Amino acid sequence: MSPELLFQQALNGLSFGALLFILAAGLSLVFGMMDVVNLAHGAFYMLGAYVALSVVQLTGSFWLALVAAPIALGALGLLLEPLLLRRLRGRHLDQVLLTIGVSLVIVDQIGLLWGREVRSLPFPPGLDGSVALIGGVYPVYRLFVIAFGIALAAAIAVIYRRTKLGMLIRAGVEDAEMLGALGVNTDRLFAITFAVGAALAGLAGVIAAPVFGLQPGMDVDALLYSLVVVVVGGLGTLGGAVAGSVLVGPVDTFGKVLFQEFALAVIFAIVALVLLFKPTGLLGRIRIAR
Amino acid sequence: MGGFSKKNDLAAKRGYTYRLTRRQFLVASSAAALAACAPAAVTPGASGSPSAAPGKELKIGQLLPFTGVYAELGNSMRRASELYFKLNDGRMANRPIKFIYEDDANVTATGVAKTQKFIDQDQVDVMMGVVPTPLAYAIRPAVHAAKMIFIDTNAGGNALTRDTADCKPACKSPYIFRSSFSSYQISYPIGDYLSAKGTKDWFLAYANYGFGTESAADFTTGVKKNGGSVTGNVAPPLANADFAPFVTQIKNQPTKNVYSFFSGADAVGFIKTWNQLGLPAAGYKMYGAGFLTEQDVLKEVKDLANGAVTSLFWAVELDNAENKKFVADFQKQYPLLPDVFAVQQYDGMRALDEALKSLGGDTTDKDKFSKALEDVAFKSPRGDFAFDKTTHNPIQDIYLREVKTTGGQTVNTILDKIAKVTDPGK
Repeated sequence: MSPELLFQQALNGLSFGALLFILAAGLSLVFGMMDVVNLAHGAFYMLGAYVALSVVQLTGSFWLALVAAPIALGALGLLLEPLLLRRLRGRHLDQVLLTIGVSLVIVDQIGLLWGREVRSLPFPPGLDGSVALIGGVYPVYRLFVIAFGIALAAAIAVIYRRTKLGMLIRAGVEDAEMLGALGVNTDRLFAITFAVGAALAGLAGVIAAPVFGLQPGMDVDALLYSLVVVVVGGLGTLGGAVAGSVLVGPVDTFGKVLFQEFALAVIFAIVALVLLFKPTGLLGRIRIAR
Repeated sequence: MGGFSKKNDLAAKRGYTYRLTRRQFLVASSAAALAACAPAAVTPGASGSPSAAPGKELKIGQLLPFTGVYAELGNSMRRASELYFKLNDGRMANRPIKFIYEDDANVTATGVAKTQKFIDQDQVDVMMGVVPTPLAYAIRPAVHAAKMIFIDTNAGGNALTRDTADCKPACKSPYIFRSSFSSYQISYPIGDYLSAKGTKDWFLAYANYGFGTESAADFTTGVKKNGGSVTGNVAPPLANADFAPFVTQIKNQPTKNVYSFFSGADAVGFIKTWNQLGLPAAGYKMYGAGFLTEQDVLKEVKDLANGAVTSLFWAVELDNAENKKFVADFQKQYPLLPDVFAVQQYDGMRALDEALKSLGGDTTDKDKFSKALEDVAFKSPRGDFAFDKTTHNPIQDIYLREVKTTGGQTVNTILDKIAKVTDPGK
C-alpha cells in the first residue's frame, strides 16, 4: 500500500469514524443515564434521514434539514419517554423489548409514508466538490463530516463538564436515585436525555444521508455499528464513544480492503478481542450490578 | 401449516395418501351447505367441474418480498401482475385468475414455509415470483417433488436452470421455468463483446454475494475467451454502506476499465462515490451488468452515471411496438415508469397465459403443462421471447446501453444488440 493510498484510506476511515461517533453518542448517553439499551436508535437514525429528505425536497436547504430533523426526533423522544419507557422503568429487558417494538413501528411507517425504493440526498451546495490533497483529490463533504464530528464531540464535552444540565446528567449516570432524593426532577431529566439521544440519532441520519443513501434496512446497519462502537469504547461515557468510533471507523475501512473475504468479520473480531481483555470496553466504567 | 406438511410427509412415507384435513373438511362441508341453501348463486362454470379444469378459478401463488431490502422489487412485480390481470379482464384461457400473494421478507426460511403453504394448503395451480437466488434454490426440492409449475420471475442464479453435479446448489427441473435471466446472460456476453472489440484489461468491482461473484466469474470467462485479462478486483459486502474505501482502491490501480456488479442502494452508493473521488476526471470508465443503471438508480444519481455502459435484456427506451404499448399501459395504470422487474413478471404472466390457451385451460396434467410452456413463443417488450427447451431459461437478445442525459432526462440509450443469447446449461 503506497503512502498516498494509506493516507486516503485513513481519511476514509476517519470520516466513517466521525459519523459513527455522531451516531453512537446518543445511544451511549441514553444507556449511561437510563440504563436502557435503546434498540430503536437505528430507527431514529433512519427517520432523521427521511425527515431530512422531505425538508430538502420542500425547501431545497440541507442546512435547514440539519436543524429540523434533530428537532423532530427530539420531540418524538420527548413524547415516547413519558408515554412508554417510563412505565417500565427498572425493568430493563422489558424496556429493550419495547424499543424493538418502537423501531418496528417507525420503520413500517417510513415505508408507508416515503415508500420503499432507494433514495439519496444530494450533497449540500458548496460541499459537493473535491479538494486537492496528498495523492489526488478528496471530497469536501467527507472532510466536513470529520470536522463536524470533532466539533460535536467538543460541544458535548463542554455541555457535559461546564453546564448545569451536564452536571445533572453526570450525577444521574452516577446514581439517579440519589439525585432524585436530592430534589431533582429525574423524570424530566430522563425525558430530556432520551430526547437528546433521539436528536443525535436524527442528526447522524441527516449527515449520513448524502453519503450512504436512504433505503429499507439502513436502520439495522446503523444500530449494529453503533452497538459495536459503544461496546468497544465502553458503554455510557462520552470518551468511550469517541474511542470506539475512532477505532472502529478506520479498522472497518482497512479491514474491508485488506481482508475483503472477511470484511464483515473484522469489526466483530475487534469486539471479541476487546470483550476478552477489557470487558467494560476501552474507556468503560466498571459498573456494579444493581 | 407446518403440522399439515409434516402429516403429509408421514403419510407419504407410510404409503397412503393423506385424505382430508380438518380445514378442508370444514370448507367443503360449509360450501356444500351454502350450495344447498342457494343453488342459484352458484356460477355455471364452477359447478361440478373437477379440480383444475377449464372454467375453474386459476390460483396463482406469488412469493415476493413486500418488506425488507427488496420490498420495492416485490411491489413492482405485483404491479405488473395486476396490470396483466386488468388488461385481460382477470382471466386466462377463460379461467378467472386468483392471485395469492405471500411475503417472503427476504428470509429464506419464511419463503420455504410459504411455498409449503402454496402446495399443501392453498393448492395453487402455478407458482410465480422469488427475488433472491438463495430462496429460489431453497424451494427447488419442494417445488420439484410436488410437480408444482413454478415460473421464476427474477432470481438469476445459473444453477436453477442447469444440470449440476448432485444438484448442488440447485439444478433444473421439468417444472421450473424462468422468465427473467441467468447471471451468465447479463455478464458473459458483454465481456465477450467488449474484449473482442479490443478492450482487453479489466478491473472488477462486485457485491460479494452469490449472484455478484457468479456474474464476475461469467464476465471474466467472456473476457478471457478473446485473450483479455482481469488485473484485480474489489468485492464489498452486499448492502455495503461506505463505498469510499473500495473506490479509493480502484483509483490507486492502473486499469481504467472497471466492470461492476451492483444494484439498488449499492449501485447508488457506488456511482456517487465514484464521482466524489473524481474517477471520471482521472480517466476511469464504468461498465456493468444492467442493474447498475436501471431506473431506480438513475432517478437518484441522474447525470452522475453518464457514460456508463451496461448490458441487459431490456431498457425502458427500447424501440419496439410491444415495449411502447407496455410502457404506455403501465403508465396509464401507475404514476411511474415500469422497471425490468415488472417486465420479467409481465412476461411470466404472458408465458403462462399462452401455455394455458394451448391447453384449453386444463392444468391437471403437470407434464403436459410443462410441455405447453416449453412451446411458448411470443413478442415481449424485450423482443422475441421463448424458453430454451433444454434448460427452461429464456433465449433472449442482450442490449448494450450507454447512460446519457438529454433535456434533463437521464436514460439508457441502446448502443448495440447481441442476438439470441442462450444460457450454456445442458
